[in-house]
Amino acid sequence: MRQGWSDQVNKEAMPGSVFLSLGIVAVLCRCSYCGWLEVKDLEVRQESTELGGPKIIIEYNLTDPNISQASPACVFLRYSADAGRTWRLIPTDSLRGNGFGIVAKPGPKEVVWWGTDQTSFGDLSLVEIRVRGVQMARVPGGKFALKSLPGGGRDESGIAAPDPNLPLYYIAKYETTISMYTDYLNEIGGEGAGWNQRMSNAERCGIIQQSNHTYNVSPEREDYPVTYVSWYDAVAFLQWCGLRLPTEAEWEKAVRGGIYLDGDSTKKNRNPMPERRYPWGDQDPNAGGFWRCNCDGDKDGFAYTAPVGSFSRFSSPYDVCDLAGNVGEWTFDWYSTSYHVGLDGFRMVRGGSWMAVPAACDAITGATQLPLKESSIMGFRGAIGPMP
Amino acid sequence: MNLVNRREFMKRSVGVAAAVTVLPRGGVRAASDKVIIGVMGLGGRGTYLAESFARRPDAEVAYLCDPDTRRFARVREAVEEVQDSKPKLVQDFRKILDDKSVDVLINATPDHWHGLGTIMACQAEKDVYVEKPLSHNIWEGKKMVEAARKYKRVVQVGMQTRSAAYAKKAKDYIESGKLGEVHIVRVFNMMQHSRQQPSPDRPEPEGFDYDMWCGPAPKPPYNPSRQWLNQWEYSCGPIPGDAVHQLDMARFLINDIPYPKSVSHAGAVYSLRDGRETPDTQLALFEYEQLTLMMEAALWTPYMKKTPMDVRESDKFPNWPFSSTKVELLGTEGFMYFGRHGGGWQAYDSSGELVRSEYGRQGDKEHQDNFIDCVRTRKRPNADVETGHRSVLLCHMANISYRVGNQKLEFDSQSESFSNSDQANKLLKRQYRKPWVVPEEV
Repeated sequence: MRQGWSDQVNKEAMPGSVFLSLGIVAVLCRCSYCGWLEVKDLEVRQESTELGGPKIIIEYNLTDPNISQASPACVFLRYSADAGRTWRLIPTDSLRGNGFGIVAKPGPKEVVWWGTDQTSFGDLSLVEIRVRGVQMARVPGGKFALKSLPGGGRDESGIAAPDPNLPLYYIAKYETTISMYTDYLNEIGGEGAGWNQRMSNAERCGIIQQSNHTYNVSPEREDYPVTYVSWYDAVAFLQWCGLRLPTEAEWEKAVRGGIYLDGDSTKKNRNPMPERRYPWGDQDPNAGGFWRCNCDGDKDGFAYTAPVGSFSRFSSPYDVCDLAGNVGEWTFDWYSTSYHVGLDGFRMVRGGSWMAVPAACDAITGATQLPLKESSIMGFRGAIGPMP
Repeated sequence: MNLVNRREFMKRSVGVAAAVTVLPRGGVRAASDKVIIGVMGLGGRGTYLAESFARRPDAEVAYLCDPDTRRFARVREAVEEVQDSKPKLVQDFRKILDDKSVDVLINATPDHWHGLGTIMACQAEKDVYVEKPLSHNIWEGKKMVEAARKYKRVVQVGMQTRSAAYAKKAKDYIESGKLGEVHIVRVFNMMQHSRQQPSPDRPEPEGFDYDMWCGPAPKPPYNPSRQWLNQWEYSCGPIPGDAVHQLDMARFLINDIPYPKSVSHAGAVYSLRDGRETPDTQLALFEYEQLTLMMEAALWTPYMKKTPMDVRESDKFPNWPFSSTKVELLGTEGFMYFGRHGGGWQAYDSSGELVRSEYGRQGDKEHQDNFIDCVRTRKRPNADVETGHRSVLLCHMANISYRVGNQKLEFDSQSESFSNSDQANKLLKRQYRKPWVVPEEV
């Protein structure tokens, strides 16, 4: 999964993505880690249909051999009809085939894009399509040991108790990286959309803003988690790629695992530690003289953030990395027991951070933050599935 | 710490006479000196204050303190982003008091720690910025005033609307007589709170000094679902804890009237029947010589809204009928809406015509400016401890009336006690858990 730059890199291309101009039918490929899964050999053609308008056939090769049922890709496609000036997410309800949404096998993919409005392009030479994939972890439906007290969730009345029985969902294996977020900034292309003043400290943030509102990743920072993103920034990024923030309950189940790791429909693989405190178990992050996550201090090898997956040996039962430490992660839930209800109140952040004491990096501890807060200790990851 | 070490603090706290002379430190400070600050209590408000003061060029946050180490990162990050030096992180606030380089303690703890934390800071010759509500009980508030005066400390209460320019203009307008004689003032605090979601007791979390958190209050088994705001041992209750802002504004606008003659109360837990002790509905009448002050407050009114964010810092007014934090002043010749949080004010004449409008801005920065200025000049701050005491007194009186069965209580301002109810007088002071005892002699 974590590969270096390939020798096919085109420096004009968006990192980690494949894009194609229909009129030119050229494939520009860049395979790297940087957060996106490797996508190769993108080809796009347009065909007419007998009954309706045209359809577009999108073929590509998802090459990462680690893609599996347990660790699938979430593939999303975006298009531009004006030579890359503006981009839109292709709605999944206009797609058919085996290469969008949750994709559980590597190999050649074919996607058919129906939809007369979107596909009746007047000037095909202006059309570009980009295919990106995020590595996810499958979290089977079923009960888990909900130990925290989620902050009221999505129900301001607070009457609805958090449900420890979650349906199937998928959560990103890694925190969103600087490289991924930089791609996003470049694609949305606005004058400052998704960007904030605190990010201008490139040394800390890892993103360099150019005068023409394009963005570059600071050298060697591609694989680090993005920081200085508000809750709204996180939500906008995830909407851009068809994902959403995990709820607190989803986040916590990703740490601890369900009562049955294969889910309640089969119940064959009982979780040996369903009430574990940390993703790896109950041992303290530094038990035995070595560190299992990036928390306060530099004895874990990192004074600030660490590249995502640096502690992958200590990932969760679903192989989700860095849930403990590194950056605190925005969740969808808000905190509704304070005076601030009705004032766009606090959101919940989970997982501790590189600045947090080890005890704060567990499955239970949450922190409240105002949604506009941009901080060096907070990032996010995506999820997809029915909202519990 | 200057002349009093930690052991001696403890002696004072437990009421043992300490034969140590404490001299007030320093006089007027040079403007070039940074005011060195320790912040006690790192919840939402403490984090906000730490970051706000750390941003100031004339202040430095040297300590961040909370019994729960899991809270450190959020506020530490915020402070280190805006000031060059790194604050020390401590669980025990006495380490701040021991450090004689510290000038100021910001006390942003839960209500039950406001009193003793402030008194001990005064004893240690620290000036104090203490969050509202000033005290947990009436007697404790008196002791806070005594400590501030005895040790000649600047104690500012976090009732920041007092420092907002629009509040001063409203006060001037009323004092000019344009409303006539004001005989009724209505204070609103209409909120929407959640039900508590009970869960079993849990082991005390690692990294959390739960005993220190409980401090002067009882120490029941740890239960994260227990909301301290809804428990008498830790709080004045969620209504007074917020309504004190508007009650304080009412007092401010009508010439800082000191004491009511009586209090009546109606209300109970009507809606949020989740085991809470504090009421979710409170209507209180405070009678003065020529004035009745009314408080209408509830926690189940979703249509009532605090001043919206886009109003707070702009030339707009709240939607007055549904403003949850307004003050209404009824005079013989005019009427005024006054909004908290920079909501501004509007005045109407005897025919109901709008005759004066004044937009507002929040007073947080001005309040902090005033505090730092007073630390330097030794002047009394805008929301001095005695002002805070007299405002929160109204909250305590309403609560006590409720707790003795919604009795009408007569108040004796000299003794700050009730003249018609021994039962009520038993609620003037709390039971302090040793060693965290506020002494009679501060």
